[in-house]
Amino acid sequence: MNLADGVQLVSFAVLAAMMLGAALGVVLLANIVYSAFLLGLVFVSMSGMYILLNAGFVAAAQVLIYVGAVNVLILFGIMLVNKREDFAPVKNVWLGRAATGAVCLGLFALLGTMILATPWVISIAPPAGDDAMVVIGKHFFSDFLLPFELASVLLLMAMIGAIVLARRDLLPDELADQDGREPPVALKLPERPRELISGKK
Amino acid sequence: MFVLNGYEYFLGFVIVCALVCAAAIVLSTLLAPRRTGVERRTTYESGMEPIGGAWIQFNIRYYMFALIFVIFDVETVFLYPWAVAFNQLGLLAFIEALIFIGILVVALVYAWRKGALEWS
Repeated sequence: MNLADGVQLVSFAVLAAMMLGAALGVVLLANIVYSAFLLGLVFVSMSGMYILLNAGFVAAAQVLIYVGAVNVLILFGIMLVNKREDFAPVKNVWLGRAATGAVCLGLFALLGTMILATPWVISIAPPAGDDAMVVIGKHFFSDFLLPFELASVLLLMAMIGAIVLARRDLLPDELADQDGREPPVALKLPERPRELISGKK
Repeated sequence: MFVLNGYEYFLGFVIVCALVCAAAIVLSTLLAPRRTGVERRTTYESGMEPIGGAWIQFNIRYYMFALIFVIFDVETVFLYPWAVAFNQLGLLAFIEALIFIGILVVALVYAWRKGALEWS
């Protein structure tokens, strides 16, 4: 084993330990904000794994999208609803935990047997390495042109949908207080009053 | 078999960064005077007086910006291979990328007209 192989092995071990530790933290920590930050660490170590697998573009996309955008979105989602409230403790909480544990163990066993039973075919072609980005770019603009352009239409749809949903434009008119009345308490979402106040200015 | 170039420097940077972080924490625990008190527990001891708690509910406006950011982040990832392979792709790819960007400019204009970019 030469130096490069040793460095790769050590990097893999460190990344795997980071990923497992952070993933356990995501599941086990009581504070959901810490869980979200640890989820970012899971994504970062996953991108390190992609680099070890010679997939530079996937690693960059992983950092850009999952760490930069999705995790930030999750954090904002948490911080929007993160109100300290005194919830009453649930009775028979061990029952729910036992059911969750059983389901998770079953899923783990299923995935484990699937991984062990699959005959993984390892490609003998040399990896594209640094040229992978150019190859992907050429595919984007030749045989994958239509999916590439459709992706922008998909992004357009996602954007419009997100704006419509986040602005709650589709709320029925009778709920919006035209004559200054408060909407019925049972039907209003927590952030709706602030939207109404800011919308009237 | 690892074929990517330049990642030995990246690994070096990662190790140096981790060591700097660890050194900052270890040195401050070793060197900082151990005094207790109310002032000691503020975030910045000689900075602004903090107002209220840090665990507050965020404004929904931040969420809107985060949503729009996600869309354009994905767009960046799609344009990244185009930028890298730009010299080998030619004029047709440039026009195709302009179409791609043009469709997303429609999304940006929609967000702008709907006031999603304003901090009201």
